[in-house]
Amino acid sequence: MADIAVQRIKKELKEVIESDEIQRCNIFVELADDDYQDLRGKIAGPSDTPYEGGTFHLEIKIPKSYPFKPPKVKFLTRIWHPNISSATGAICLDILQDEWAASMTLRTVLLSLQALLAAAEPDDPQDEMVARQYRNNYPLFFKTAQYWTYFHAGGENSNSEFTEKVQSLKDMGVSDTRALIALSSCNWEMLQAVEEIFS
Amino acid sequence: MDSEEEYIYESDSGNESSENDGIGLEFDSDEGVGGAGGAIGKYKDLDEYPFEVLSTEEITKHMIDCIKEVNNVVNIPITTTRILLNHFRWDKEKLMERFYDGDQESLFHEAHVISPYKTPKQQTKDVSKSTGMEECDICLLKMPSAMMTGIECGHRFCTSCWTDYLTTKIMDEGMGQTISCAAHGCVILVDDQTVMKLLKDSKVKLKYQHLITKSFVECNRLLRWCPYPDCSYIVKVQYPDARPVICRCRNVFCFSCGENWHDPVKCNLLRRWIKKCDDDSETSNWIAANTKECPKCKVTIEKDGGCNHMVCKSLSCKADFCWVCLGPWEPHGSSWYSCNRYDEFEAKQARDAQEKSRASLQRYLFYCNRYMNHMQSLKFEHKLYASVKEKMEEMQQHNMSWIEVQFLKKAVDILCECRQTLMYTYVFAYYLRKNNQSVIFEDNQRDLETATETLSEYLERDITQENLADIKQKVQDKYRYCDQRRRKLLEHVHEGYDKDWWDYSDP
Repeated sequence: MADIAVQRIKKELKEVIESDEIQRCNIFVELADDDYQDLRGKIAGPSDTPYEGGTFHLEIKIPKSYPFKPPKVKFLTRIWHPNISSATGAICLDILQDEWAASMTLRTVLLSLQALLAAAEPDDPQDEMVARQYRNNYPLFFKTAQYWTYFHAGGENSNSEFTEKVQSLKDMGVSDTRALIALSSCNWEMLQAVEEIFS
Repeated sequence: MDSEEEYIYESDSGNESSENDGIGLEFDSDEGVGGAGGAIGKYKDLDEYPFEVLSTEEITKHMIDCIKEVNNVVNIPITTTRILLNHFRWDKEKLMERFYDGDQESLFHEAHVISPYKTPKQQTKDVSKSTGMEECDICLLKMPSAMMTGIECGHRFCTSCWTDYLTTKIMDEGMGQTISCAAHGCVILVDDQTVMKLLKDSKVKLKYQHLITKSFVECNRLLRWCPYPDCSYIVKVQYPDARPVICRCRNVFCFSCGENWHDPVKCNLLRRWIKKCDDDSETSNWIAANTKECPKCKVTIEKDGGCNHMVCKSLSCKADFCWVCLGPWEPHGSSWYSCNRYDEFEAKQARDAQEKSRASLQRYLFYCNRYMNHMQSLKFEHKLYASVKEKMEEMQQHNMSWIEVQFLKKAVDILCECRQTLMYTYVFAYYLRKNNQSVIFEDNQRDLETATETLSEYLERDITQENLADIKQKVQDKYRYCDQRRRKLLEHVHEGYDKDWWDYSDP
């Protein structure tokens, strides 16, 4: 690892820990190993969004040529969002690709991700299934994203109808995460979800 | 200014085959420049197609001349002229037109340079008066102002971060002409003189110069690299066309597509054919499964993540398109994806196509076999040159003059040309739909094929002292016949192009 990368990460960790956002917006970052290549981040779901109340864990990998190359970030916590893959947590965000600049920091990345949660870009979707629901049936998207936040990220807003449907699929021997994905992508239509799982 | 420009490119000339610059660069005296022209003449009996072959140093000089020429007129810093020219893909006229007709401010803005008429703004952020220290936004260290630098946009970073930044862009991302300032969202391009000043490692400098030359050649429609492995010459033409050109390395290729000269088949069909032929290998299976072609420039693209909005990274293309439907990206932004809708009609077409493909495989194998066979033989004929040379020397020791034995070399020359033409006739034939003219073409093809095989047989047969006179006559007759048949075949195909005889199928 280049000196400059390690030096930067050290400073940046300090920056995040000292920043006000740690209180105000709830972002957090820590080392996952000793060689400054693997970090873990946390962001809180912004208020007035379906992600409110949830805590989302991130995997942050620092490339050797950091900060001249962007960090590789993905969601470890599953999330229902047009720009984040519901299956892998991969993120479609310009600053993590072409728009990255060496003067950006982990703090700006985490804040941008938080902003992405508050304002999705369904025109440039990572997860086309989610994006379609977002465009065609926003209220259902909102409820689904909220339920995912409850299910995976410790949010408070449960949904008894959804819980029931997940439960009945579980009774058929399907794992609950699998059931959640199938139901969410079939707009919570039981029959379709069953078909998708068993076909 | 001049000496500076030349200095910048000085080290580039060191690398690229400058040893050829001396006498070695001239053609061997017996072939001469006329010989090179002759080689082309043999390939196609058409009106002249003027071209010249340039070395990397000459191309650099050509590039500097272009810049100077424009600069004499527009009179702005040479570095800015270069960026503007690159923006217009080295089309001087277009640049001049925009420079004098339009709004210059918007021109500079579009080309991502700061107008040279503005006095550069000096950013004086965070300079603490007492210490004269500034913080670099990249390494987050406090530095004396003397160690900080930047370009006209005013963003300043420490020189060592600049060096690292430029090195990453050049070595990892292969960017040359289009490296922008390191600040977030700043699109102002770093000029070549600044880059050369900031780079320390000579390897990186060399790569940078190479990238600049490369983008110059690739963006310029009148230039093309010789595609021969490790050849670094460039062919310059006066107008782009699908014509044969010969490099100083003796490689004859099509200026339009860069493949070996492939008369009678046209570039687009040949490209389809080559792709098809490659389809057998594992690599190609992978390519087929994991990549698509840019709809504009046809470069092969692998998608390794992110959304479906693709921007072609090819230096001269930069098309925006959708990965799913390969249509232009623009409509996707506003009207949502319509490309994700399952199209019943298209699906049925796809199924039908699959059934057809079985039958067409047989047909393909037929043509491919013959194509490959000639290609293989062509490779062996190059061995034949060696054995023929020996034979010619041997004969000269048996009372024959040098001139009397030249027929053998000539015969092999013609044999190779015939094989090459035949090889490409099978590509042509594969895509050709049957009609009266195609029957005539196939007759020509068969005739040439038989004659070529006979010639090949003669040449491989033992030529001894006893049968020499006899065999010489036979060989000469046969190669004259082959050459004539080859010309007739090509003429017929070209006539067909002119008169629109050829119908193509899409097997």
